Amino acid sequence: LARCDALILPGGESTSISLIAERCGLLEPLRDFVKVARKPVWGTCAGLILLAESANKSKSSGQELIGGLDVRVQRNYFGRQVESFEADLDLPFLESGPFHSVFIRAPVVEKVLTPTSSVPSASGDDTVLAPPRQATKAQVEILGRLPGRAKTIKDKTVNAEDLGEDGDIVAVRQGNVFGIAFHPELTGDARIHGWWLREVLKATAQRYIGDTDSPNRLVTGG
Amino acid sequence: MATELPMINGHGQQANGTNGSNGETSSFNVKAGLARMLKGGVIMDVINAEQARIAEEAGAVAVMALERVPADIRAQGGVARMSDPLLIKEIMAVVTIPVMAKARIGHFVECEILQALGVDYIDESEVLTPAHPSQHTDKSGFSTPFVCGCRNLGEALRRISEGTAMIRTKGEAGTGDVVEAVRHVSQVKDEVRRAKTLVEENDDQGLRAFARELQCDVELLRQTGKLGRLPVVQFAAGGIATPADAAMMMRMGCDGVFVGSGIFKSGNPAQRAKAIVQAVTHYKDAKVLAEVSAGLGEAMVGINCGDMSDKEKMAQRGF
Repeated sequence: LARCDALILPGGESTSISLIAERCGLLEPLRDFVKVARKPVWGTCAGLILLAESANKSKSSGQELIGGLDVRVQRNYFGRQVESFEADLDLPFLESGPFHSVFIRAPVVEKVLTPTSSVPSASGDDTVLAPPRQATKAQVEILGRLPGRAKTIKDKTVNAEDLGEDGDIVAVRQGNVFGIAFHPELTGDARIHGWWLREVLKATAQRYIGDTDSPNRLVTGG
Repeated sequence: MATELPMINGHGQQANGTNGSNGETSSFNVKAGLARMLKGGVIMDVINAEQARIAEEAGAVAVMALERVPADIRAQGGVARMSDPLLIKEIMAVVTIPVMAKARIGHFVECEILQALGVDYIDESEVLTPAHPSQHTDKSGFSTPFVCGCRNLGEALRRISEGTAMIRTKGEAGTGDVVEAVRHVSQVKDEVRRAKTLVEENDDQGLRAFARELQCDVELLRQTGKLGRLPVVQFAAGGIATPADAAMMMRMGCDGVFVGSGIFKSGNPAQRAKAIVQAVTHYKDAKVLAEVSAGLGEAMVGINCGDMSDKEKMAQRGF
């Protein structure tokens, strides 16, 4: 882990992922990677859940989180597999048109938490929190929303305008931590992968430029 | 019937998916997507809410809700049917991980009921008593994805033609004897290898002949040959009882394992469940496997498949 410049936490079953990470002794190293070393990390779906500082609707005895994004997520927000769906998203950080995305038993970012307070006051019984580390000055940026349409269209009674909603938050970024609720690997559109890798190159170059003695000095260009 | 070809790791054709949010059937991409999230995991049979919580705490990626585990169905005989919806709902209410449930082969109404209950996956299972003398259910019309069993590549591809989004090799359920699971996985591997060779050699005649031999769709066979694997996630099932069994199935190339009677029929289910989860994660690390296999208590007693007649084998069920 220490040799990695960046990390992706892919989709899967977040309950299992955190249990197994704990048993392998990986949770603390991961927390250090994300919240102390602050190297670039990208979490999708289960990965987003693990990177959140707080999660709702975890299993009854709680769930270990890594943290890194000052947000609270709600797991299985849209429901079970039958409520899983595909949707076209407008992602402002990508060029050339909407991104066709797949949501599988997806979470959403329920709330952006204020960065300095990592312990929300009135948390529900089923809200779990990640252990805090050093606070970051970076703000949480909302990078993508799912218009309220998808959640309600099954009822065919209301649409997003009626609800006056901007839509559910499905993509966020805070400094070097990037989290999304959907699965870009399932549709063959590599734009998010490309974008993130370019961000990783930028972030890694920054880190090495400051460290002139490093044997790992990144060579750019060519 | 036409089936949409799935995206696998960026290869293959894009799914021409219908969007589930319009009230139409979920696209194949969405159905097969959940199975891909379960890769590297263990799916455990549970018969009540308490067992479901033990499985979730052990690190199962999903549970299979049923009234009797295969070993008991085998011992008690009679007709095995879909479980009581109350039981399934109870299990769905206590865990946050996906819940699967079984329907009889060809019993499309049991499938509709399970879909109405909202289970995450339907297993059209040979462990229950088949409800149709010659056909499986048409699964493509359902929004809920299906997992089906197979003993060989032909069976797997026939199920995929019908709309299955996930395959498990059948093994011989309820025996605790892994030999049949190994037999079926090996069979599928050999046949996939043969398909791959035919595709690489551009032997179209050969491919069509092989498809006739396997009794399956030639285009699915071609896709399988191109990919070098099944076009959907493939788990092992049937007779897995120990961490070593689970690790071996992973070494043979499976994407994950189902463990049925093996866990809750053993001496110490919670510990065995955790051990099997660790084994599937660290399936190449013999040191970890040795550690987790130690002091596990009794494995399920089981039945030696070598002593069974063909008639007694559940894996024969299906078409």
